[in-house]
Amino acid sequence: MELYLGLKILWWLLLGVLLLGLAVMVGMDMGVGALLRVIGKTDLERRTMLNAIGPHWDGNQVWFILGGGAIFAAFPLIYATAFSGLYVVMLLLLWSMIMRPLAFEYRSKIPTARWRNIADWVFLISGALPMIIYGAAMGNMLQGVPFHFDWDLRSYYTGSFISLFNPFAILAGVLSLMLAAFMGAAMTAIKTEGALAARARSVGSLAAFIAVALFAMGGAWVASMHGFVLTHSVDPALAQTPLTQTVERVSGALLAHYRALPILWIVPALGFIGMVLGGLLLRVNKPAIAWWMGVFAWMGVLGATAISLFPFLMPSSSVPSQSLTIWNSISSQHTLLWMTGFSVVFVPLILWYTSWAFYVMRGKVDAGKIEKDPHAY
Amino acid sequence: MINDTVVELSRWQFAATALYHFLFVPLTLGLTVFLAALETVYVVTGKQIYKEMTQFWAKLLLINFALGVATGLTMEFEFGTNWSFYSGFVGDIFGAPLAVEGLMAFFMESTMIGLMIFGWDRLSRGQHLIVTYLVALGSNLSALWILVANGFMQDPQGAVFNPITMRMELESFSALIFSHDAQAKFVHTSIAGYVTAAIFVAGVSAFYLLKKRHLELARRSFRMATIFGVLSTIGVITLGDALGFIGAHAQPAKIAAMEAMWETEKAPAPFNLAAWPNQDKQENSWAIQIPYLLTPLLTHTMDTELPGIKNLIAHNAERIKNGIPAVEALKKLSSNPNDAAALAQFKAHEPDLGYGFLVQRYAPNQDVSQATEANIAQAAQDTIPDVFAIYWVFRIMVALAFLMLAFFILAVIYSLRNEVEKHPWFLKFSLWLIPVPFLACEMGWLTAELGRQPWTVYNLLPTWMSASSHSVQYMVFSLIGFVGLYTIFILIEMYLMVRAIKQGPDQHDAHPTPSSGSLGGSVLASGAAPVHAKALIVDSTNKEV
Amino acid sequence: MKLFGWFALFFLLAMIVIFLAIILGDAAPWYFAWIIGTGFLILTSAAAGMLFDEQEDEAAHPQKST
Repeated sequence: MELYLGLKILWWLLLGVLLLGLAVMVGMDMGVGALLRVIGKTDLERRTMLNAIGPHWDGNQVWFILGGGAIFAAFPLIYATAFSGLYVVMLLLLWSMIMRPLAFEYRSKIPTARWRNIADWVFLISGALPMIIYGAAMGNMLQGVPFHFDWDLRSYYTGSFISLFNPFAILAGVLSLMLAAFMGAAMTAIKTEGALAARARSVGSLAAFIAVALFAMGGAWVASMHGFVLTHSVDPALAQTPLTQTVERVSGALLAHYRALPILWIVPALGFIGMVLGGLLLRVNKPAIAWWMGVFAWMGVLGATAISLFPFLMPSSSVPSQSLTIWNSISSQHTLLWMTGFSVVFVPLILWYTSWAFYVMRGKVDAGKIEKDPHAY
Repeated sequence: MINDTVVELSRWQFAATALYHFLFVPLTLGLTVFLAALETVYVVTGKQIYKEMTQFWAKLLLINFALGVATGLTMEFEFGTNWSFYSGFVGDIFGAPLAVEGLMAFFMESTMIGLMIFGWDRLSRGQHLIVTYLVALGSNLSALWILVANGFMQDPQGAVFNPITMRMELESFSALIFSHDAQAKFVHTSIAGYVTAAIFVAGVSAFYLLKKRHLELARRSFRMATIFGVLSTIGVITLGDALGFIGAHAQPAKIAAMEAMWETEKAPAPFNLAAWPNQDKQENSWAIQIPYLLTPLLTHTMDTELPGIKNLIAHNAERIKNGIPAVEALKKLSSNPNDAAALAQFKAHEPDLGYGFLVQRYAPNQDVSQATEANIAQAAQDTIPDVFAIYWVFRIMVALAFLMLAFFILAVIYSLRNEVEKHPWFLKFSLWLIPVPFLACEMGWLTAELGRQPWTVYNLLPTWMSASSHSVQYMVFSLIGFVGLYTIFILIEMYLMVRAIKQGPDQHDAHPTPSSGSLGGSVLASGAAPVHAKALIVDSTNKEV
Repeated sequence: MKLFGWFALFFLLAMIVIFLAIILGDAAPWYFAWIIGTGFLILTSAAAGMLFDEQEDEAAHPQKST
């Protein structure tokens, strides 16, 4: 049975890796989309930005799809409860995400200014909205969401759609948007030249510094929020449902792990360091290292959230005792073993060929070529 | 309490989004493989025309691919948003193939398609060919894992119910992926994609042959598409038969509905070539029968008895009665997982658990303990899907498959004799045939999934129980949203596809003059200025060709 | 009707292939069949393209030599 506990923790960490991959890779493309109208002043500049991520956005987007699939496989009850509970939010996320591939493929196929303007607005919405929702979802998890279960684990969400956009969730959403904008700007700065790259650098570092302020505010806010504490539960190593535990809400509990184990402060510190250094490095025209600093910033933000919640994933604010934890929402040992096997083989493979793809397409985007290439975005 | 209207709207939404998604999938499955064939010729012979052909068909593929990916996003999340009970109940086993699909297939396909389009100048010929092959492999492996998941819904293999976690859990991964239904359905679907691509390529090529444009490209494409198509069509019909053979064992109610077989006939049973099923009276108003044909067709034997619908209903009523104690025991286990008596009762009735669930819909207060004989009879009637719809949807699919087979055989003959251009009527026919494979694919989906009703997981979980507990307002909102967005999308897609086809392949000598390159940048300043200059150039190239 | 004769012959051939494949299919692993089948399909289609070029060359060659 110890194996099962180990697998549970491993998949909690892998969920983190997945959310990180999603935030970094999809977030970067979203950032480019959201900044398209801010940084790109002419049509050619905008096309240059799009072609900077053009060969990769399709692959990057799979992080999002894989995120859905892996949560389904490893945390089926989270997949079921969160996605149905946040129904309208999920729809807005999906609808905006659906429009993005079309804007990519179709924008440059029609050479009228009106069409391209529409496409640019689609990029703005489909870049900004999903990142706000991504962050807001995390913010809501920290606060708990009102839901409960029937005897057969049928879930009911009892909150309203608007209540998901509370002040703390919006703060988290804007933080996520700023980090995405930073990554998008860094990527633009890496792949382009001249005035466009300069604009990307200044906008990107501004986004990083705003993110620093928001992350600090969020941390202070979390200190005073009500957290959740498992007061009675089945052994974490055993299979269980959320119907056989008791949970209490305790003020300040979200920082309990940090108080117990001060070394954990390293994680949020990593986030701050990533943001500050990222912003500064972009200023001094080191966009590639700045991009990697953005990865650390995301690590810090997501890691800090995960530590605050541990072992909860989706606490219930209405019936706390039916909160979803790592222990009670995860898949069976057998499924986790198989999924681990597949991940061990395929995740390194994915990282390898993704890097290869970036290597093949290395170098600056040639604006002159975009004009001539009928396949260019 | 489960709301009938919400379930019904969830079903409509899923069907609408899945059918829509499935408009784009088959062409991607087939065209990527066809591109691999085209590029193989280019690499082997080194003839430039095959590179142009690959690039041209890749351009059309991408227009289609964008919508396939976009609408696929919806599918990946719709189980959670709209079928949350289903997701919790079978997620342990159903989620795994979806995750592996992302890990193994879709990641590769999506990463490689970027290189396939943009990597022509940066990769060696051999490298680019490998990339194209990987795109084809990736898209079809995607289909493989999705259909492994679907195979579990059709014939749940490799899972066992765990009363402690109250869900189905994975028992044997190999049983899951090597399920006969999954195997045959994957190959059937994949090859149906090849047929779709072949008809599409043949049709578009015929259009050029009719217009006497891009003849070099069109003739070669037509030839390759006909050979590609005739072999694929043979494959798709073969696998269709295999699916019927597998279904006869695993899903008797679906097969009975597909064949409008109300009574259990003495083997070998007659085949209803055409019939007018009436579900209320449980009979066919009329039927044209071919004696003795059905039994060998479905079972590949002469003496296996095929159960008719009336027998199935009677049999299922017994299973419902036997399943009710399983549900009652489960309820006790839910509050106390250590209740040994309840566990024993559950184990004794476990095989009919799903049938016990089935009566919940009609029982007073949706409590199976209070179910009456009348409720059970009503639930038993439900175990038979809509016979009329399935019977005809299935027949249309089969008829279209044979129509395409006939077309391809004639096309092969004409093409091999190099006389296809002498028959304008045939070229026009090819063009008009383009919608047919898409229609046939949709009919195939309907046959498979309507025939699965009333279950989401066959014999295990009723559709009625599977949906999320949303309000009717939410469902109306989302349904309208999807229909509205998707309608706009397909209009744009069709417009661009037709436009790209009319434009034809890139004429390397007819490129816009270099001056237009520098013009574009300045004229398009701030994205708001008019773009007449560029539009004019595009227009003039249009007219010229 | 020479054309119809060819058509009928090929149609018959197709039906025989379907029949044989069905018989074999009862016992066959379909995944394996798919991999092999798709490989051959690609090669056959590619060969069809090359055959076309051959035919073109052959048709063009006598004209050039005269």
